[in-house]
Amino acid sequence: MTRTSIRDMLYEAPGPKAQKRIRFFTGLALLLLAALLAAIIRQFSVTGQFAEKYWSFFAKITTWRFLGEGLLTTLKAALTGSAIAFALGFLLMRGKLRRNRILRAVSTVLIEFTRGVPTLLFIYFFFLVVPKTGWKPSAFWKITLPCAISACGVVAEALRSGVNAVPKGQTEAALSLGLTETRLFYKVVFPQAFRFVIPSLIAELVIVLKDTTFAYIVTCADLMQNAKVLISNHDAMLSVYLVVAVIYILINYILNKISDRLALKLRRMPAEGSKA
Amino acid sequence: MSVQALLTEYGDKYLQALLTTWRLTAVSFAAAFLIGIVITVLRVCPIRPLRLFGDFYVQIFRNIPGAALLILLVYALPYLQIIFPYDVCVLIATVLIPSAFCSEHLMSGMNTISPGQIEAARALGLTFFQMIRRIVIPQALRSTVLPMTNLLVATMLTTSLASQVPMRPHDLTGIVSYINTRDAGGVTAFAISAVLYCGTALVIGRIGSLIDRKVRILR
Repeated sequence: MTRTSIRDMLYEAPGPKAQKRIRFFTGLALLLLAALLAAIIRQFSVTGQFAEKYWSFFAKITTWRFLGEGLLTTLKAALTGSAIAFALGFLLMRGKLRRNRILRAVSTVLIEFTRGVPTLLFIYFFFLVVPKTGWKPSAFWKITLPCAISACGVVAEALRSGVNAVPKGQTEAALSLGLTETRLFYKVVFPQAFRFVIPSLIAELVIVLKDTTFAYIVTCADLMQNAKVLISNHDAMLSVYLVVAVIYILINYILNKISDRLALKLRRMPAEGSKA
Repeated sequence: MSVQALLTEYGDKYLQALLTTWRLTAVSFAAAFLIGIVITVLRVCPIRPLRLFGDFYVQIFRNIPGAALLILLVYALPYLQIIFPYDVCVLIATVLIPSAFCSEHLMSGMNTISPGQIEAARALGLTFFQMIRRIVIPQALRSTVLPMTNLLVATMLTTSLASQVPMRPHDLTGIVSYINTRDAGGVTAFAISAVLYCGTALVIGRIGSLIDRKVRILR
């Protein structure tokens, strides 16, 4: 029996009485939600936020081109940051799975450190301290690097759980065939582990993308920063910020949906050799 | 500056900042938890519009960046004549976002409950709300201790949003940029805050896994 979720299990087909009750409450709920929506729309119209001057520039292609440029920078920062986080996370994961005690301890400390410190603190570090050391990264790197560092611990843990999910029998089989530990890891364990963790890596990309929103601190021209320019050009705070928020939500929603789909697919096709 | 110099000059400010972060975290998490439960009940109730509203709520606040939400609350809402003080704006943001994740965790916690239990509850004549309250929520909570622990840590990290508004007293992130704009606090100023954040996260994690070991349902 395939059961999609507990949601559909919680009640059986309602009888005539229950049906009537459900219909009543459905009507009531619709009324309440409509009232909420009406209140929001009313608030917009009383305060004059529907005025044409706040929305008309969204009909211009230049507006979208400008926002698009910002979005491109945001995506570039998020992808670059995630790639760096993946590389760092991979190293930390390898370190944590080593038999060498010192390497293991260092990796554990770094993982816990990056997981327990907010991204903003890393961003302020790159904003306030790093330029004083003589190394002056561009605004792009000042936002991308701290986001990457802040994500790498989580990536390391995700990769580690992936490695642990690969059935032990495979390691034993590969070792008995005479593979070296390195080849065992890169040829047998990691390819499968990677497959397991793709969904959580995409989820991590969402987190990095959200963190890049702080780019305004280092004045990197990302989506949020370009939105600010648009606001000062058109004197339209609410409409621009709303549109930008919707853009962020849509992108993250799509990424999360992809991640959920992949997770579902992976759960349906278990790795070779695991009992399912 | 050395740790000692920093602590003599700003020690009480750091303490205040730590307490502010803790307070914000505790209040936000408690509120997020309650709202998360309510939203989850909406998402599984038989009334379709409420289900959709619950799903919509979760998708919005799961996917909006914290900075975007805070900026909307602080700068855009006043144009609708809805004005909150800075600290309330921060609190709203640090409640709404974790509440969406809380509901997601509860939903996946529910999925660990076997359908047989629901059928048994129904056979015993429990109403929907009795079933939710006595069968579903307790088990969903017990199997989500670890995700909730992570959520508590995530909530703490989210409270660093407080540094983005002129709020007094500072939180642990705000204090660092405050010190660095007045003094050359340098790496040390960051290290102190980082250690306090990390220490808190470690303690939360430890307590979480202790509770998990106590209440986890072995299936």
